[in-house]
Amino acid sequence: MEPSERAAPYFAAAARGVLALQRCEACGSHSFPLRSRCPRCGSARLDWSESSGRGRVFAHGRLERSALPELAGRLPLTLLLVDLEEGPRIPARLAAGEAGPVRAGDAVALGFETAGDGTPLPVFRRAAT
Amino acid sequence: MGARDPFSGATAICGLGMTELGKVYGRTATDFAVDAVLRALADAGLEKRELDGLLLNAGISQGIDLSLAQTLGLGELAVLTQMNAYGSTAGQMVQYAALAVHHGLARHVACVFADAPLVEGVRAGQAYGGARARRPGLGSVVPSLGFAGPIPFYAMHAQRHMDVYGTTQDQLGAIAVGSRAWAQKNPQAQLHAPLTLADYHAAPWVVAPFHVLDCCLVSNGAICVIVSRGEGARDLARPPVYIHGVGQAHQLQWDDGVPSLAQRSARTAFDMAGCAPADIEQCQIYDCYTFTVLTTLEDYGFCKRGEGGAFVASGALGPDGALPTNTGGGMLSSFYMWGMTPISEAVIQARGEGGARQLRRNARIAVSGNGGILNHHSTLVLSPHEQS
Repeated sequence: MEPSERAAPYFAAAARGVLALQRCEACGSHSFPLRSRCPRCGSARLDWSESSGRGRVFAHGRLERSALPELAGRLPLTLLLVDLEEGPRIPARLAAGEAGPVRAGDAVALGFETAGDGTPLPVFRRAAT
Repeated sequence: MGARDPFSGATAICGLGMTELGKVYGRTATDFAVDAVLRALADAGLEKRELDGLLLNAGISQGIDLSLAQTLGLGELAVLTQMNAYGSTAGQMVQYAALAVHHGLARHVACVFADAPLVEGVRAGQAYGGARARRPGLGSVVPSLGFAGPIPFYAMHAQRHMDVYGTTQDQLGAIAVGSRAWAQKNPQAQLHAPLTLADYHAAPWVVAPFHVLDCCLVSNGAICVIVSRGEGARDLARPPVYIHGVGQAHQLQWDDGVPSLAQRSARTAFDMAGCAPADIEQCQIYDCYTFTVLTTLEDYGFCKRGEGGAFVASGALGPDGALPTNTGGGMLSSFYMWGMTPISEAVIQARGEGGARQLRRNARIAVSGNGGILNHHSTLVLSPHEQS
């Protein structure tokens, strides 16, 4: 399978507003981004599962400059590293329109925005704890 | 602590070669590398034919490879390898070179780093980040979010430290300001203009909490050190800089908020050197960003976890402080040559060749290297004395 085909489930789920994660059938741990073997137990029996979308902010930073033309006029943006309930830590962004400061440990919930080329981008809104 | 490790103090850095560093154009990474190796040989008083080992590390521009041995006209080599664990590589090259000469695999091993990412007329961030292309598919998600290169990740780690421990922007600024004060005493440094905390706060943001002044000075150039057995080094041209302790640690996923790999690396090196943090007289820390200084000081045990901010703001890292650090101006104000920046300054300080910035207390110098996003770490304890 081509690497691009391997990621197809991610894009299909994202179109429904859901984040697809790889789940190891042997030990149950989740991984993201794509692996060919479970980083925890080494099993090759990896399937896809759906994240609850719930997580906590591990870290955040305020992006003040970018070489990406499509971000011109949209800065600053808040970049996030979010620890998902299922385990993986993923790079993401605070959703557009979410004002105010974020802190490490804040509860957040997943959504998607779309990049200029159509790539679905994971973003998070604040959630009730 | 048990019996003294026979490896501790048995090997030494006997040669140092530094090219012009910074915005130096019109030369390739190979040009710089050849120049650095030849300078290190001349510095050590070694003939080229006496060099029987070469370890090399190409920077982001990937401008050197194993063919450097041919370009240098090195005939029969006993040791030759290209290595890469990013910013921790230089410290690791010295470790493998020391192991090789200690066990008789080679007699004199040159360790060279060379890079030439800067292009005249192109901004450093662009030149440095330009090497990373956006890939289609899943690989384009993270770049499309606005993440580019390592800065966002380090900035977020710094912000987490601020959230969890109350570290302040002033405290990060104190590191930048302190580095500049040291750089003013170093003729090889790129930035000599005085820097105040107000200047720091006024500098443009990149990814907050990082201003441009929290980030290192991407540079062109090369640095080489030659590692030999201690008894061989003593007959050479320069005073040997003995290797008392070495360590490294790697961790591709962070288990918790504050990575502990630097702690593991330092413990290995300090144990081998038979010393505790309190015995270290000065530090040369890998300062790709202000924050890495703060977190490394904590991991090494110079202050408690979470107290790095207060420690750096106390003046401890300055000329009259308890732990003078990055005495050449570091990567923030001097030049970014990956792990060779702190190693070269440690060699200069151990030899007593620091001129206006030379410290009297140089018996034990801790040197750190850091690579990836706090994924790779190396530590050296260096000394002008064979035994502590």
